[in-house]
Amino acid sequence: MLKMTHLQKVYRTHLIETHALRDFSIHVREGEFVAVTGPSGSGKTTFLNIAGLLEEFSGGEFLLDGVNVSGLNDNARSKLRNEKIGFIFQSFNLIPDLNLFDNVDVPLRYRGFGAAERKKRIEESLTRVGLASRMKHYPSELSGGQQQRVAIARALAGSPRLLLADEPTGNLDSLMARGVLELLEEINRQGTTIVMVTHDPELAARAQRNVHVIDGQVTDFDEAPRLREVAAGNADRGSGAESGRAVGAMD
Amino acid sequence: MEIRPIFSALMRSKVSMILIGVQVAMTLAIVCNALFIIGQRLDHMNRPSGMNEADTFYLGSSGFGQGFDARATIREDLATLRQLPGVADATVSNSVPMSEGGWSTGLSLQPKQKTSTADTAIYIVDDRALDTFGVNLIAGRNFKPEEIADVTFGDRLQPASIIVTKALADKLFPDGDALGKSIYMGEDPPTSTIIGIVDRLQQPWMSSSSIENSTFVPAFMPYGNSSRYLVRAEPGRRDEVMKLVEQKLSESNTSRIIGKVHTMEETRGEAYAGDRAMAIILTAVILALLMVTALGIVGMASFWVAQRTRQIGTRRALGASRSDILRYFQTENFIITTLGLLVGAVLAYAFSLWMMQSYQSPRLPWYYVPIGFVCLWALGQLAVLGPAMRASRVPPAVATRSV
Repeated sequence: MLKMTHLQKVYRTHLIETHALRDFSIHVREGEFVAVTGPSGSGKTTFLNIAGLLEEFSGGEFLLDGVNVSGLNDNARSKLRNEKIGFIFQSFNLIPDLNLFDNVDVPLRYRGFGAAERKKRIEESLTRVGLASRMKHYPSELSGGQQQRVAIARALAGSPRLLLADEPTGNLDSLMARGVLELLEEINRQGTTIVMVTHDPELAARAQRNVHVIDGQVTDFDEAPRLREVAAGNADRGSGAESGRAVGAMD
Repeated sequence: MEIRPIFSALMRSKVSMILIGVQVAMTLAIVCNALFIIGQRLDHMNRPSGMNEADTFYLGSSGFGQGFDARATIREDLATLRQLPGVADATVSNSVPMSEGGWSTGLSLQPKQKTSTADTAIYIVDDRALDTFGVNLIAGRNFKPEEIADVTFGDRLQPASIIVTKALADKLFPDGDALGKSIYMGEDPPTSTIIGIVDRLQQPWMSSSSIENSTFVPAFMPYGNSSRYLVRAEPGRRDEVMKLVEQKLSESNTSRIIGKVHTMEETRGEAYAGDRAMAIILTAVILALLMVTALGIVGMASFWVAQRTRQIGTRRALGASRSDILRYFQTENFIITTLGLLVGAVLAYAFSLWMMQSYQSPRLPWYYVPIGFVCLWALGQLAVLGPAMRASRVPPAVATRSV
């Protein structure tokens, strides 16, 4: 689903060069739920941005669902992002002036779906997160957990194959966080690949696989307990995190 | 098109929308009416006098001292003028068009008529006037030298023959058969016969409601010791002839003063100075208003772009291309401008109605508002283009930034 090989990301100013990712390799297979962990400034968000085609990389190779993204122009990247990737942000990133229906509608409009198709998808995805009855409400009328559910509905509405979550429970209390995490697990069980960036070890432990990043490099990986529970449902899983120095098999 | 969600979002922050909308509305209402007024002023300024203005000038002569013979001086002066090189013709006249000073009288079709049929300006001239003024005789004939009557200033004018403008002829005789007809200059006989009709000659007064009603009266009538000469130069020689005329007349008789020489172009400029000033002021107001509106749109759009940077990044992350973001801001501006313009259209017609009732000004032609609509739409789109392009360059990675 997502394969980065020897990826480099360098931020340059006229004074300094900062290597955000160095020789970064990872392979996430279809249907996996991978947690990317690491301390602040380790490169987690840079990885997520590149994985989500939000940023370009400086070197190496990146295949997204088999498509080599390095040669794509901005429009093609936007289209690919819209069709294949769903985003869940730490701060939810809902548009405050749009009601829930219109918020979920945003990526669908860019996709070019007709009105009827959009309506169907919006209703389905809001139903899936348990907020179908609040379509006409505005984000400010919801709790943090509910807002994140709307963000998940928005991410799911376009039926993406990959869900990228950036600290999805970072702004939630533990009760709400649990609810959101359970929702993500359910989504994953239904076949959507999830890559979640987090610095919360408890949250990471719920993923099937952890990839640890320090100083822009994959330094370690492990198998979370839950992996064993769901492994039978994901028989094709092979290798997990790969890097120039650390490559691990999942099964 | 994202019109519905954009409109819904705008309705959640009405103040900004109302501010820009009101500005656009006021701009449309004022610009349409101001442009209409400017158009009227320009039409006013471009009214033809009927004369050859480019080649014609005039000057006054005022005699002083006992024994000054005005009649002899005028005759000598005219003879001198007509012989000068570069002079096409010269005449003496009590007035000239656009000079704001002259004589007028009422013309009647019947004796003792209570209200005259038409009012007219009187140009007291000799038989060379038509040629000197450069007017176009469209019917009848010119005065003969023997028809020029010697009249003492203060005596009643009783011309046997007159030449009138077409506008005046039509006013007196709407059937178009004025030539050869007799009219009363004042209330009493004798009558004057219309022997010629000229195409056009304006009165001296710019605010006259019957500005094209003018009459040539054949008479030789010095105004005390003063006289006014009208001179038409050969094409392209006016300035050269003006100097020569001033010099020759000054030298020919030292018992009089030659006044300032005026070209007809200067006279036109002075006559329409108020109209020109009004047109310039209104143009400045329009430009200032359009600039303020454009800057208002730029300012508001720039503020929105800065305020929504995260939102733009999120939209980009969710699949919006740069052109989607550009289109979003342009559509948003289009909606606000359209709402403002709809209100502005009503205001424009209401303002016109008020002007009609208060100042008897004509009704604003309907097409001014749709043309204003299109221009302000274009202005709005142009003004928002810069901020919208800045918005389109917001990177999608902004969506994941924590600050």
